[in-house]
Amino acid sequence: MEIGQSAYDFSLPGVDGKTYSLKDFADKPVLVLFFWCNHCPYVKAYEDRVIKLAKELGDRAAFVAINSNDPNQYPEDSFENMKKRAEEKGYPFPYLFDETQVVAHAYKASRTPEFFVFDEERDLKYHGRFDDNWEHPDQVRHEYVREAILSLLENDIPHVSHVPPIGCTIKWRHGT
Amino acid sequence: MLRIELLYYPECPSHERALELIREALVQEGKRAEVEVVRIDTQAQAEAHQFIGSPTIRINGRELQPQPHLPYRLTCRAFQLEDGRLAPLPSLRMLREAIRSAEGG
Repeated sequence: MEIGQSAYDFSLPGVDGKTYSLKDFADKPVLVLFFWCNHCPYVKAYEDRVIKLAKELGDRAAFVAINSNDPNQYPEDSFENMKKRAEEKGYPFPYLFDETQVVAHAYKASRTPEFFVFDEERDLKYHGRFDDNWEHPDQVRHEYVREAILSLLENDIPHVSHVPPIGCTIKWRHGT
Repeated sequence: MLRIELLYYPECPSHERALELIREALVQEGKRAEVEVVRIDTQAQAEAHQFIGSPTIRINGRELQPQPHLPYRLTCRAFQLEDGRLAPLPSLRMLREAIRSAEGG
């Protein structure tokens, strides 16, 4: 998905029993949509950081996690296990299951975690990784997602619009 | 001389850093090792090499942080660090301790 393109709508079940689409986040000036899963160690490395940012900025930015992995190959990523993980960690954002993988294909997502930050018109303004140091949280110098959100909240354009995501590949169903 | 195997799945981005960490640990421990790097591309190779994810590191045949409950598959794997965090790579300290342990064993 290219910078400037509009967000694709979807209708996906969340671990809270609700079904979500873009209109459910229309009250927030920024939308942070990110591809996520249970099993990937890069997701685990970033989990607490993403939760912290969602709690901090969640009143102005909607955070939405989507798992598109094939649970037949990776049972940790099943809908039941998504529910467990969201509850254990107290996710402050919806955690949605893209069972058909249509949404991941539409966004041309390839990894977990992979972040897409949209402005109020839901045009893509940042795409890529969360920050510049997955290994050492205390040595992060650029928090790309946070910086993009704060720029958009000030009606500014993020200084950085794309940094290649780092993480596990999305686990596609055989034949897709 | 120690024998270290580094098995990796190329779509997981951690293997280059894993090799750096192994070399750094050897230098810090003052040890030499024969390091074999094995690329895993297919599920059949994963099963043949008992590969649960990338990177898998074996020192004198002993796996660093074995996780026997996991299936053999093409993905990244997690390591539990000393502070309890889960990470895509072991820490330098874990590698150094494993090297010392292998030397003593």
